[in-house]
Amino acid sequence: MNENQQSVDKLLLELKERAKELNCIYRVEELFSVADITLEEIIRGIVRVIPAGWQYPDVCEARITYAGAIYQTPGFSTAPWELSVNLIVQEEVVGQITVCYTEERPPADVGPFLKEEHKLINTIADRLERRILHETLRTVFESQSQSSRVETDWQVILDLLRRTDPKLLTRISRKMLHLLSWAGVEDADRMLERCGPPSWNDLGGAGEEVNRPSRVNVTQDLQAASQEIFELASRHLGEKEILSKIRAWIKEDRSGFLVKILENPAASLAEIIGAIERFHHLGPEDIELSAPRELTFRVSLIRRILSDDPQFVQMAKRFLDVNNFFELLHRIIYPAGSHGRLGGKSSGLALAWHILQKLGVDVPLLGQFKMPKTWYLTSDGILRFIDYNDLEEIVEHKYESVAQVRQEYPYIVHIFKNSALPPEIMNGLSVALDDVGETPLIVRSSSLLEDRMGTSFAGKYKSLFIANQGPKQQRLSALKDAITEVYASTFGPDPIEYRAERGLVDFHEEMGIMIQEVVGTRIGRYYLPALAGVAFSQNEFRWSRRIRREDGLLRMVPGLGTRAVDRMADDYPILIAPGQPALRVNITLDEKIHYSPKKIDLINLEKNRFETVEIKHLLSEFGDEYPMLNQLVSILRDDRLEQPTGLGIERESDHLVVTFEGLITRTPFIDQVRTALKVLQKEFGRPVDLEFAHDGRDLYLLQCRAQSYGEATQPAVLPREIPQERILFSARRYVSNGVVSGITHIVYVDPQKYAELTHRSDLLAVGRAVGKLNQILPKRQFILMGPGRWGSRGDIRLGVSVSYSDINNSAMLIEIARRQREYVPELSFGTHFFQDLVEASIRYLPLYPDDANILFNEQFLLTTNNTLNSLLPEFAHLSDTIRVIDVPYATGGLVVQILMDAEIDEAVAILTDPSLDLSDPRPERIGTERYSHQNDDHWRWRQQSVEQLAQSLDPDRFGVKALYLIGSTKNATAGPESDIDLLVHVCGSAEQRISLMSWLDGWSICLSHQNYVRTGTKTNGLLDVHIITDEDIQKRRSFAAKIGATTDPARFIPLGKHTSH
Amino acid sequence: MAMKSYNPYEIAQAQFDRIADLLKLDQAARDLLRVPTREYHFTIPVHMDDGSVQVFQGFRVQHNDARGPGKGGIRFHPLETIDTVRALAMWMTWKCAVVDVPLGGSKGGVVCDPHNLSARETEQLCRGWVRQISRDVGPHLDVPAPDIMTNPQNMLWMLDEYEAIHGGKYPGFITGKPLSVGGSQGRKEATGYGVVFTIREALKELNREPRNTTASIQGFGNVAQHAIQLYERIGGTVVCVSSWNQADQTAYSFRKASGIRYEELLAATDAFGGIDVAKARDLGYEILPGDAWLEQDVEILIPAALENQITQENAARIHPRAIVLAEGANGPTSPEADTILSERNIFILPDFLANAGGVTCSYFEQVQSNMNYYWDKDEVLGKLDTKMTAAFHAVSDLARNQKLPMRDAAYVISVSRVAQACRDRGWV
Repeated sequence: MNENQQSVDKLLLELKERAKELNCIYRVEELFSVADITLEEIIRGIVRVIPAGWQYPDVCEARITYAGAIYQTPGFSTAPWELSVNLIVQEEVVGQITVCYTEERPPADVGPFLKEEHKLINTIADRLERRILHETLRTVFESQSQSSRVETDWQVILDLLRRTDPKLLTRISRKMLHLLSWAGVEDADRMLERCGPPSWNDLGGAGEEVNRPSRVNVTQDLQAASQEIFELASRHLGEKEILSKIRAWIKEDRSGFLVKILENPAASLAEIIGAIERFHHLGPEDIELSAPRELTFRVSLIRRILSDDPQFVQMAKRFLDVNNFFELLHRIIYPAGSHGRLGGKSSGLALAWHILQKLGVDVPLLGQFKMPKTWYLTSDGILRFIDYNDLEEIVEHKYESVAQVRQEYPYIVHIFKNSALPPEIMNGLSVALDDVGETPLIVRSSSLLEDRMGTSFAGKYKSLFIANQGPKQQRLSALKDAITEVYASTFGPDPIEYRAERGLVDFHEEMGIMIQEVVGTRIGRYYLPALAGVAFSQNEFRWSRRIRREDGLLRMVPGLGTRAVDRMADDYPILIAPGQPALRVNITLDEKIHYSPKKIDLINLEKNRFETVEIKHLLSEFGDEYPMLNQLVSILRDDRLEQPTGLGIERESDHLVVTFEGLITRTPFIDQVRTALKVLQKEFGRPVDLEFAHDGRDLYLLQCRAQSYGEATQPAVLPREIPQERILFSARRYVSNGVVSGITHIVYVDPQKYAELTHRSDLLAVGRAVGKLNQILPKRQFILMGPGRWGSRGDIRLGVSVSYSDINNSAMLIEIARRQREYVPELSFGTHFFQDLVEASIRYLPLYPDDANILFNEQFLLTTNNTLNSLLPEFAHLSDTIRVIDVPYATGGLVVQILMDAEIDEAVAILTDPSLDLSDPRPERIGTERYSHQNDDHWRWRQQSVEQLAQSLDPDRFGVKALYLIGSTKNATAGPESDIDLLVHVCGSAEQRISLMSWLDGWSICLSHQNYVRTGTKTNGLLDVHIITDEDIQKRRSFAAKIGATTDPARFIPLGKHTSH
Repeated sequence: MAMKSYNPYEIAQAQFDRIADLLKLDQAARDLLRVPTREYHFTIPVHMDDGSVQVFQGFRVQHNDARGPGKGGIRFHPLETIDTVRALAMWMTWKCAVVDVPLGGSKGGVVCDPHNLSARETEQLCRGWVRQISRDVGPHLDVPAPDIMTNPQNMLWMLDEYEAIHGGKYPGFITGKPLSVGGSQGRKEATGYGVVFTIREALKELNREPRNTTASIQGFGNVAQHAIQLYERIGGTVVCVSSWNQADQTAYSFRKASGIRYEELLAATDAFGGIDVAKARDLGYEILPGDAWLEQDVEILIPAALENQITQENAARIHPRAIVLAEGANGPTSPEADTILSERNIFILPDFLANAGGVTCSYFEQVQSNMNYYWDKDEVLGKLDTKMTAAFHAVSDLARNQKLPMRDAAYVISVSRVAQACRDRGWV
């Protein structure tokens, strides 16, 4: 035990010594990298730093003699215990470094000195010698450039090199030889043949000796030949030219170590970082990079640290230089021996930010963008984490079925959150926390898959906010928790399923992490930015025909941007097209108030958590502290929204509405975002989206990537060879992107007939009927097609008078502009409830059937059986005007699919087989086969389950006569959320019915669980049971009318063995 | 064109013809009142933000100014037609006459969709409209006001342009101005209060004390809120209000048998009269379906939200206790329902009369602007009471004497007043 203790002590002591020595080297290096420092200053500095690097600094003194001068520490005296090394430059002793102890100390390796100390003094001497040589050369160069006597100066340098750095001489000679040969000097060619590396002719072209190894040329040859080469050179090149070449090559040679590291695939991130630091510390006088070498550095660094995606490298190399990486490297946390990268999100941000910075030199608006302080954890951190905790089996998890993945996911989260991060990562995080202090943080995923162009993992992996308050240990542990949770999300069912669908499951996914300061200020107990949001360089939701796609789209909210990034059911972001900020979505007072944000996301610093609060409450409590509030709100006064004036806001009495009016009209904000979108789209070579936040002083860029399309807004591929009879309509104006699939019902309000209605009450009744249909028809499986402007108020001849609630279940709103005698009606673009449509992803399309080259299958719409009468008998008198088409019924099982591609401004609606109705719009963009996960799974599984249920149902016990299926399962349109509409024809007693219901309840819960496991959709029971009796059937009441109905009839499901049928 | 379609102008004319028959108007009066006195059609070129010029079509229709300067809104609507404007101008003539304010009826508009216009372009359009018509409108000729998709800001631009052209200050040129620039106090309260003034008078006629009545109200917006306030003040009890719920995309009725408390509900309400369901439940309200307001056990029903709410289909659900229906909204009762209610002897306060508080207050704004002297709110509301009360009794007396439904009586009285003015002036 004692022995052990001793050896530990010894080890500790040794380590301390090494640290001191290293520190000494660093301090010496620092001296060398000071710009414009003189040699004398360097020497004085070295003398000062030496003693601290030795074992007994208190008695250690140092002296350097050079060029007749003596530099020494005050207490230096010759003593018996000293260590000396000569300074030799150009084979001449030019000075000496001496270290001495003024008192006796216990003996060590060399007298009282350690062998490491011996090495240390040699290293310092070596470094100093190089510097002296450099200074000498510089003096020579300078005198050369001043005088015209240059004839033999390059000779001096060559001599010098021959004696000091023969390898460098070799490399320079080779370069000169190549240069001469390239310049067409024949003697040079001959020399190359003699002693140069094999030329292309030797290697293959000449045809002889191909199978023999090419000649090995000993470096020695070249060295000896150097004199000859340079003499040759002097005959063909001017002295000045030779000298400048030599000079450039020597300098370039200094960065050779970096090339070696970067080009070595086995080099670890630590080595690269070390090399970059060394490179950075080379004084500017030491480096001169040729353009190709500089580019090589850029490209290698981009590939190793950011992304190896060729497109990305192509863009990034124009904007990121070696020094940019130096800044970045200080904030990278990585496991030992890391070969990781930063991942997609981090790379995109780094690139975008540097683009803005570089272009910001000429365009000040761009230069004003800031980036929050960000730390990065490399992508292989997760692998190290898995390895460190022996969690390897988790990786196999991705090959399990989605159901299994879903079931095991909570378990994985649990394990991950209870596993430790490796110590080197914890240390890194600790340093990061010291750096950011108690500023709240967001921990974002930055996976390697995310940076593959064309895959959008938007929202698939987690991003977590942490308040980062309290004692360091607590903050560190919260940060660790967040990181492990983001790690766990790599194995979540959504990303795994998404990857499976796109054939990316085999991709070796690694997850980088971005730890970013949350932009914001403290307001009372909260922390939040003044505003934040997302900006898209292409606008997919145009609310006016005057807005072009390239005008872009901004979604912004007060507080954290989470409410702008996600669609919200009960709140709205402010929308602006940065290209045309004057064209607003909301014009009337009602619209402006209605569609203004009402809630705000923020971080509660006291409770240490993310929260959503009412803006009203926040402002009444802390309105005075809210940054640039005057620019963000308007005051509702006298039915008018006023801009706050210099007098400010009476937060007690003023009714404030978030409009961002001041920000939009009185600050350069919109200009700034528009300019950024424009240049980023140009430099990325594709549409981009970016996230931003504003703390009241500065605008911060938080994220930038190629524009992601939600599932519903990817451009669709329009099939070219569709038989005309399968086309319902086509459109070529104001088309947005997306696919609307699985449409089973069309509600068609015939423009002609609607215009012919003579009574206002009839016009209003059409609106009411649509509202009722909206309640009965299957949600998101019907489209509304009608004349002019949906949602007209006042003059309702112009369009059907509906409110949002009358259409909120539809999948798509179509406005038809048929030429009337005098005019073509101007369409509304859904403006009456535009933002509701956007948030609910209800699509909008205008049709101009009278345009040339447009197909409009009026025949189908007008002659197909109209089911309005059976659905809404009370509106039968409008059956000429309103036509409800049950598409599968009318077409023998087809459904409607609408494909829209904004890029070519075309859309088409086709009748298609539901199983071919692929909702994945553009598989070839990602370059993979679609995973065999078909849309029709959902109804098929439901129907099979019901058949099983029917088999095990004992009709006599429960008094059941028959079972039927209706609704989405029967219509083969069920989605993951759909319930199963079951019609149960009963004849038994009340008791029997009660036990039947509880038996079915059991099934319902069980099926609901199975559905959850299959799809991840949680439902509260899956069966929707409708009980009908003989009497109902006789009177064709309610659902009983479905049995044997002409349209959309119920499907009979055979019962088990006891069945009476 | 053979196609027949819904034409509001033809409907307005048919309505007039029916009343003219009742009044046995002579042919000349009919010929005069059936059509507008003057119509202006003009173009308004606007330099757009992108440098192009777009030409918009503008209208002003002055239906009749026998009783005084024309009064009527300016509509910005993408599919505006002259027939709509004609119908609405005629309607304004009757509306001003029923409350007996000395004004005629006008309407104007521009074919445009403000959703496609920037604020600057909209301003140019407003100013352009005034430039084209400035000789034929004015404080003593024809007074515009806000209407569909026009707002107080638009009115100020128009006023500014008018004053620039005429070289003076004419705040009485336009109404609907913000309070700070010549608007009138009491505008917010006017319509809701007007509804209750007529209810109060109706109850007097029915020999009922307001404090012994209860009411159920559809809507919790501006009109409904002020109606509730005043109705409570005269002693009545509101037991149910319905309001639209944005989150659930449906309407709910909020009932408290002991009487709702306006202040507490207001505290749970957003800017649109949407009441927070959870908060209301906490406050002890029963949450019922949106249309439940109609079937409450109350004396008074006030539809103050949307058009076409009481129809053939639901009229039967009105509780037998109901005695008064006050139309706070425009056209809340369908013609078929109107018949059913009349048969049940429910006293109908037609929209035309009941919600005329708005136009009356607009008249007050004009009067104050012309004097350049502004009343305080009590004075405005006091004068409103006088006007509304007088209007009610005139209509109600006529209805009783001539055995006419209230709705018809209101029309008859307006048309006869206008026809009388025309005769007095020696026009017909």
